[in-house]
Amino acid sequence: MTTYFIRRILLMIPTFLGSTILIFIILQMAPGGPLEQAIQQLQAGAMQQGESVGSVGDIMGGGSSVLPKSAMRELKRFYGFDKPVYQRYLIWLGIWPRETKHREVEFKNGATEAQKNMGKGTYMTLRLDGELVQVYDKEGNISELWKASIDKEGSAENLTLATIFQTEFSGILTGNLGTSYTYDQPVTEVMAPRFKISMFFGLTGLFLSYIVCIPLGIRKALNHGSAFDFLSSVTIFVAYSIPGFALGGVLLVLFGGGTFWDVFPLGGFRSPTEVWETLTLWGQIKDQLWHAVLPVIAWSIGSFAGLTVLMKNSLLENISQDYIRTAFAKGLQEKRVIWVHAIRNSVIPIASGIGGVIGVVIAGSYLIEKVFNIDGFGKMGFQAILDRDYPITLGFLVIVVMIRLVANILSDIALASVDPRIRFK
Amino acid sequence: MPEQQEISLSILKKRWLKFKTLKRGYYSFILLIVLYGLSWFLPVLINNRALVVSYEGDLYFPVLSGYHSGSEFAQDAPGEALYRELQASWEQSESDNWLVMPIYPYSPLEDITVKGNKMYEPPSRKHWLGSDNTGRDVFARLCYAFNISISFALVLTILNYIIGVIVGGSMGYFGGKFDLFFQRIIEIWSSLPMLFVIIIISSIIRPSFFLLIFIYTIVNWIGMTYLMRAEFYREKSKDYVAAALSMGQTNFKVMFKHILPNSMVPIITYFPFAIVGGISALVGLDYLGFGMPPPTPSWGQMLDVGLQNISKWWMVLAPVSAQFVTLIMVVFIGEAVREAFDPKVYSRLR
Repeated sequence: MTTYFIRRILLMIPTFLGSTILIFIILQMAPGGPLEQAIQQLQAGAMQQGESVGSVGDIMGGGSSVLPKSAMRELKRFYGFDKPVYQRYLIWLGIWPRETKHREVEFKNGATEAQKNMGKGTYMTLRLDGELVQVYDKEGNISELWKASIDKEGSAENLTLATIFQTEFSGILTGNLGTSYTYDQPVTEVMAPRFKISMFFGLTGLFLSYIVCIPLGIRKALNHGSAFDFLSSVTIFVAYSIPGFALGGVLLVLFGGGTFWDVFPLGGFRSPTEVWETLTLWGQIKDQLWHAVLPVIAWSIGSFAGLTVLMKNSLLENISQDYIRTAFAKGLQEKRVIWVHAIRNSVIPIASGIGGVIGVVIAGSYLIEKVFNIDGFGKMGFQAILDRDYPITLGFLVIVVMIRLVANILSDIALASVDPRIRFK
Repeated sequence: MPEQQEISLSILKKRWLKFKTLKRGYYSFILLIVLYGLSWFLPVLINNRALVVSYEGDLYFPVLSGYHSGSEFAQDAPGEALYRELQASWEQSESDNWLVMPIYPYSPLEDITVKGNKMYEPPSRKHWLGSDNTGRDVFARLCYAFNISISFALVLTILNYIIGVIVGGSMGYFGGKFDLFFQRIIEIWSSLPMLFVIIIISSIIRPSFFLLIFIYTIVNWIGMTYLMRAEFYREKSKDYVAAALSMGQTNFKVMFKHILPNSMVPIITYFPFAIVGGISALVGLDYLGFGMPPPTPSWGQMLDVGLQNISKWWMVLAPVSAQFVTLIMVVFIGEAVREAFDPKVYSRLR
């Protein structure tokens, strides 16, 4: 059993690599990436000022550019496009050195030595040796911290341009998801508060749907064919036929204070900060719940129908089994037969579904977040794709993929722990 | 052998008869088929072009022939003839000219640039479900979107089925390295959040109807493939397969002539639910703005505009209800089909 789960966890690695490579390739293929967008913005800005900056060069594969070459180089470096795709992927993973703290050094008129002032009275000496650049520190030893490379694009006939930089291994494996282009903050800092918001809704929705669906399913199974069963089936059909976000829209129209009743707010996670901070603790709780009612309903409707029907069918199936008849025959009370014998066997499929539900509940909510204008995790990922904010897009997808992989294993563990007959090999 | 055929026919017949007794599903099925069939004639039913115009002794058929400028019918307006106004003025002046409008004389695409249309008109006898933010008739758009949604889901599901049967069938039938390889691919594929991948791809290329189906198929083939894999895997160990093989049947024939007909139950029972998935997916994508290119009528786009104008209740409730009614009919069908194919008699406690 333990070996099975260890193998499952190890198998996550190739899957994880495979899906991240796939995401990486899809993103790289996308035209209109962050680099092109930045260039366009800068060009538009330059046009507005009514002057063209620098020379008109043919830098970006056919498109004419009004940006000077050095600016182009810096942009490319900032977005990491100065490296081939596989290197970018490895750097992003953190198993290829990431170059930081770039500075440019010029070798003029065929000189083979140049000095770079590093501030605080220190300087570095660079020696050109054919195609290689060697960096020496003040004492004349080869520097371990700094490395340098020749910038071929920037070099001209009597000017060799070199870049001096430090390297470090820093990527997703070391916990560094990079810095967001649009928020100008580390990706993890952008994600953390939004992830908490989505978790709040996701877990509340999950909890609610379980405490509603399991008793409901049980009751439906025990009264199979009754009026109660029929009426609740209608509700279930309705719930199944309306996607959560569409239901959210209807709820907003009905209760959001448009034409009908003004009961709940139109959206948002909680009241704006200025209002929020004036509230007492009790007021804050009330405010939070008041904002959460409609989104949570929309959130949990997705799993409501499936979970209830699963519980009902599973219990029905068990009730018609021979061991139940045996239990009745030996004179056990009905309560005991159902609650001790039947139900324990019926929750097995529910337990195995928990992983899938977790994945959907936590990550699959951006449509609802958009409807209710909640600044959550899914909405952030969606916006990042629109803005071509690759660090966030990648980080978002990685987390979603991880959640799914872990959730799959979790449901196996849950299954194994409720059903002693199950032995994974 | 004819005798065998008769038996297999009667099983299907039995299922069909059982399906017929499940009224809810059966009537939903009939209604949906009729509605979908009708929806192909929408240009004749819901349109702002007249069916027949009789003008100074000549007959015109604008629905079929397309554009006629207003001046052709002596209408003092630039651009296309406004048939509704034409009709009204001819009736008023009791002239010999006449025209026949479609039952519902509004087109899903005519907006406020057409004289007489207003934005945000609440439902009335004129506009049954009001008009939207650009003055387009909501009911007309709703009906056209119905046709597109169902067609999208149908084509998508059939494509998925073809891929699923071929790939999944081969996986289950041949097994071995082929199976392992595709299993890994499927595992990677299913760990990705697919709607996001579609959004990434759609934000690169503006999809048309078939491009969108293509993109969606790329990401959506897994479910059916896995189902078919399990089905073929189970069937291939049965005696009839060994018998067929020992008689010298090719793998191809065994797969598609012998195993496939025996795997029809999951294929058919899963079909309505795949349709539900397809319709919901299109609505979601359209809502996010990554579905059909505008101005294609679509429930998702209507919902998006509606939620931006939340006080105009008809703009939200109309598309949601349309989607809801369609989906619930498909769910009813699915439930009935499942019961007809897989009759499970539950013993009741009391």
